[in-house]
Amino acid sequence: MKVPREEKEMKLKKKEENVTNIEIDDKEGDADDAQEIHSGSDYDDDYNDEDLDEDEGTLTESGSEQSEFSENEEIVNASDDDGPTDDDDNSQQDHEGTNDDHSEQQDQNGSDEDHQGVDESDSSEDEVAPRNTIGDVPLVWYKDEEHIGYDITGKKIKKKERQDKLDSFLASADDSKNWRKIYDEYNDEEVELTKHEAKLIRRLLKGKAPHSDFDPYAPYVDWFAWEDSKYPLSNAPEPKRRFIPSKWESKKVVEYVRAIRKGLIKFDKPKEEPRFYHLWGDDSSSKEKTGHGLAYIPAPKPKFPGHEESYNPSLEYIPTQEEINSYQLMFEEDRPKFIPKRFTSLRSVPAYEKAVNETFERCLDLYLCPRVRKKRINIDPESLKPKLPSRKDLKPYPTTCYLEYRGHKGAVMSISTEASGQWIASGSSDGTVRIWEVESGRCLRIWELGEAVQHVAWNPAPDLPILAVSAEQYVFLLNTGFGNEEEQKRIKELLHVETPTGPDDSGNAASVVSWARDDIHKGVRLKHFKTVSSVEWHRKGDYFSTRLTQRLPFKLHGLPVSSTFHPTRSIFFISTKKNIRVYDLLKQKLIKKLETGLREVSSIAIHPGEKENLCWFDMDLSSKPYRVLKCHPKDVTSVAFHRSYPLFASCSDDCTAYVFHGMVYSDLNQNPLIVPLEILRGHASANGRGVMDCKFHPRQPWLFTAGADSVIKLYCH
Amino acid sequence: MPKHYRPPGKKKEGNAARYITRSQAVKHLQFSLSSRGDELLLQLILVRLCILKGIFPREPKKKVKGNHHTYYHMKDVMFLKHEPLLEKFRDMRAYEKKVKKALSKKNRDLAERLLTRKPTYTLDMLIRERYPSFIDALRDLDDCLTMVHLFAALPAIERDKIDVKRIHNCRRLSHEWQAYVSRTHKLRKTFISVKGIYYQAEVEGQKITWLTPHALQQVLPDVVDYNIMLTFLEFYETLLAFVNFKLYHSINVKYPPILDPQLEALAADLYALSRYLDANSKAPALESQAASSSGSEQAEAQENGTELEESELRLAQLQHQLPSNEPGALMHLVEDAPDEDEDDEETKECKTLFKNMKFFLSREVPRESLLFAIPAFGGVVSWEGEVSPFNESDQSITHQIVDRPTQGHRFLSREYVQPQWVYDCVNARIILPVEDYLWGRVPPPHLSPFVDNEAEGYVPEYAETIRRLQAAARKEVLPMPGLGKEDLDDPQNLLAEGIISRTEAIEAAERKRKMSILEKQYHDELKMELQGVQYSSVSNANKQNSAEDMEAGEKSLSDLQQVEKDHANIEKVVMSRKKRGLLEAMKIGQEAKRARVGLLKERKKRIEPKKSE
Repeated sequence: MKVPREEKEMKLKKKEENVTNIEIDDKEGDADDAQEIHSGSDYDDDYNDEDLDEDEGTLTESGSEQSEFSENEEIVNASDDDGPTDDDDNSQQDHEGTNDDHSEQQDQNGSDEDHQGVDESDSSEDEVAPRNTIGDVPLVWYKDEEHIGYDITGKKIKKKERQDKLDSFLASADDSKNWRKIYDEYNDEEVELTKHEAKLIRRLLKGKAPHSDFDPYAPYVDWFAWEDSKYPLSNAPEPKRRFIPSKWESKKVVEYVRAIRKGLIKFDKPKEEPRFYHLWGDDSSSKEKTGHGLAYIPAPKPKFPGHEESYNPSLEYIPTQEEINSYQLMFEEDRPKFIPKRFTSLRSVPAYEKAVNETFERCLDLYLCPRVRKKRINIDPESLKPKLPSRKDLKPYPTTCYLEYRGHKGAVMSISTEASGQWIASGSSDGTVRIWEVESGRCLRIWELGEAVQHVAWNPAPDLPILAVSAEQYVFLLNTGFGNEEEQKRIKELLHVETPTGPDDSGNAASVVSWARDDIHKGVRLKHFKTVSSVEWHRKGDYFSTRLTQRLPFKLHGLPVSSTFHPTRSIFFISTKKNIRVYDLLKQKLIKKLETGLREVSSIAIHPGEKENLCWFDMDLSSKPYRVLKCHPKDVTSVAFHRSYPLFASCSDDCTAYVFHGMVYSDLNQNPLIVPLEILRGHASANGRGVMDCKFHPRQPWLFTAGADSVIKLYCH
Repeated sequence: MPKHYRPPGKKKEGNAARYITRSQAVKHLQFSLSSRGDELLLQLILVRLCILKGIFPREPKKKVKGNHHTYYHMKDVMFLKHEPLLEKFRDMRAYEKKVKKALSKKNRDLAERLLTRKPTYTLDMLIRERYPSFIDALRDLDDCLTMVHLFAALPAIERDKIDVKRIHNCRRLSHEWQAYVSRTHKLRKTFISVKGIYYQAEVEGQKITWLTPHALQQVLPDVVDYNIMLTFLEFYETLLAFVNFKLYHSINVKYPPILDPQLEALAADLYALSRYLDANSKAPALESQAASSSGSEQAEAQENGTELEESELRLAQLQHQLPSNEPGALMHLVEDAPDEDEDDEETKECKTLFKNMKFFLSREVPRESLLFAIPAFGGVVSWEGEVSPFNESDQSITHQIVDRPTQGHRFLSREYVQPQWVYDCVNARIILPVEDYLWGRVPPPHLSPFVDNEAEGYVPEYAETIRRLQAAARKEVLPMPGLGKEDLDDPQNLLAEGIISRTEAIEAAERKRKMSILEKQYHDELKMELQGVQYSSVSNANKQNSAEDMEAGEKSLSDLQQVEKDHANIEKVVMSRKKRGLLEAMKIGQEAKRARVGLLKERKKRIEPKKSE
């Protein structure tokens, strides 16, 4: 029961002591040595006071006294001179002079010192009892509370009112001692540091001991040595191993000696040899391959800088602000990497910010980019063009527009020349078929069919001048009224035949086609059940084929696009979008399939012997196109061969017609000669269509073209 | 069946066997290293080995694994695999483990001892392997020089392992190289760009171009992997050192040059080096001359007559050498090398460009660059500093290089020019008039000497001016019948040397003026003629056109052009697809070039009226 009280008392004592101590320190700022004696006396006074205060001389109390004393002693130890006197004190204090007691006391001393150390660390709290009674718990727990614990009467200890920030700032600005004030969160109060405390802090910051009179380098006091020491601390005899040289050490020594003798251990540092020497001796002629037999491809050298990279380029190399802005709209790849800049003097040139980056990129290129040897040709692009025979030698061919046939109201879809070459027939999308005289350009006859004409074809037999016209679902066989009377008669007879199933039918089933007499146009009208897009005559004029928008006559893959008869043999060609099929009409079976490899076939035409489609097929050798000519940027609408001249022509939606010289030699070893001759222009585009059809004159090297602009043109040589 | 099906039991063939992807290559190396090396380290080792050995990916004809892979040739990978350096790397790794172990056992003594004996590797055999002959090494020196010069200008950074030692080494190597080039007058072209200063030297017939950054604080970006750059640098440092060794020995100078510590301390390395070169190359030359002269004396005794001429020549040479023994003469950085006859035409021209000129550099001009360039072209140069050969008040200075808006105190005896003048003179190989380059003025545009203006299709105005000046200079130098040899040189220079009298100089000057007048007339006539021809041809074309217009009636000019174009393009129809593509690509290229030139011309046109105002 006693102990706590005593402890309390002790604490009180301590406080007093501390206060005195501080006072001393303050004074010590002026003079050190003189003060020390004072302090000693102070302590003595203290001690006396304590003696007076405390009535009981119990052992515990003596312990506390000891603690007091020890503190005293510490100071004394620091200054040697006072040593003996203090020792005297010590002896006075000792109840018994025995060694054991002494050691016990020492132990106590040690523990007390520890205790003191703890006390001293929070000495600021000891000055005033802490207001806070919540104990050592995180303050966060009480953050939202209004109190910080309870006082002894059980009332809440209230927190202070939070001061307005502005006010506190103003107050702090006015207060000159503001820098000394510290807010103690634990006790919720402002503490003003004393001068002494500030000094302590300053010393701590410097890494020194807080008390200026503390000597870290005090001489060691050997507690175990005393004057009349008879007995050693330990009575054990010295072990033998202390006298024998170590076996393991000697082994190690032997090892080292051997290593040194062998030269494994060298003491002097290895000499620095000259690192560089004649690497490439005198034989610079040795041309070895690379070590592993692969060709070494040297890295391409970086590009040389141009005028624009100069620090002061000509003014014209500097882009304007608009141009620089327009770079932002460009794609990342297209954007120029370097924007020229101009500096008026060398001293104003800054360091290039991408210097390291660019070198790094070059490094990456050097070891990460695959290298390939590429041949760079430095030739005139003109020399790439093939040498063609002079066009003058290949004359005649159509070159200039000679006549125009005007009269149609809509796009001229198709034209056809009569076998004699005196007339041409044209069919237009305005539903009319017209016959023109070639040389004069006069329109001879007009039929109003009422439906958009898709295709017109003149019977190739010269004695039967019949015109086959396809319009929508009908095929009209029209009597043109040419030729002498006998012929006229025969035609009329022929056209008057009114058999339900026509013998002239091109192999269609009867149900597909119905024949009818057409009185208005004096001809025969065949009605198909689907739209007829083209009509072609056999060379003798006995048969004609009609093409429907649906597959029918033969079994085809895909829609038929174009069909023709072979000019000399009994072969029938029909093209779908991808392939061209060749049928033998006599045996009625498929002979060959020609693969164009193109996306879409629009037209085919047969040369006497050969066939062309802007793919130039060689019939005899393979089914692949001999040659593909790419000349039109838009769809090719029609191709045509000349019957006697080695000419062929193509026309397209880009309003041009190309005339080629295409010569096939009877010697199969010689390659056929294809020479582009002329580009014929003149048609205008209408509804995105250009030239719809082209036909050669049967005897002259003239070309007729039918345009979507409702004009037919004749090109002559 | 998969695309690249290989029946079982059949080996891989063709591209599939010959090329492997990058990750496969890494695995190949892993096999040889250890079974449990981590992936990243192996990648790094592959990168290092590839860089050091100069192995690069290749482009197989058929990419078996797909388009997005990098392919290495199997032979390349095997080549890497058998590299002794790989074994060295392995040893080093093992050694590092030892050190680490010692450290973690707190055995610091052992660790320190181990660290002193770290295994190292050398790259000299690699260099020998990659560049079997010296010429090969010179051919590949561009990147090496650029990199070394860049690192010479970088700050040392601990974080990126850029060591101070390496930076100093780079500086030293770059200065050694520059000193050699400057000493042997091999520099050919210089160009100040925004990125830095480009130089081109011609060593043993190889044109070597490199870039030195401006001597300012460099920007160090974070995105750069410095490990890779340092690996490159490691190789380049070794290469450049060996190249320097060879070059220095070719001019009889001991290689690791020992420099004046005072100069070195003041960061005047280049000057110190050039002094060293001068001092060293002269001694053996003198010795050899002495030896030969003694030998020839013996020969002289035998045949007196024939040797007479030769001995006279030698005497003259010796006399020429004499002043170089004086202490002051050492300051002349450029002495006539004894092997003058071996120089080719161009070197001679370069050597004499700044002959008899003395330059002084102000503080604000790039000193290192000018200290390199001016002596390379035969000039004598000094700068503002403690150890400079002569100071500003020297009366014999002919040019002072300044880069400041105003110049306070001026010596009348010298020209004050901007640094660009030096570079322009070097590129033009003539001494340009200094009026445009005076201090405080905006100098004329600085043009790249690497551009072939004719091929580019656009000649800047100032290039034209320089060409005219060059032509004028050359005309003058042409030997005239009936005139002495001394007239070959520039009369002004000779006057300065005091070789010819004033009257002669005046004569020469007059001749020069007459020539220039004649030349100008000729040029004007030529120009007139050219313009006339153009004019007449244009008018002819116009006439033809108009006649045709009359004939064709409604046919317009565009139609005619169309026809022309058709005729030109008609051959394209029968060309094969490949050739047509090629032709079109070339056309596009030409078109782009024309557009570029057009843009320049347009800008020029826009600028001109502004200027005249």
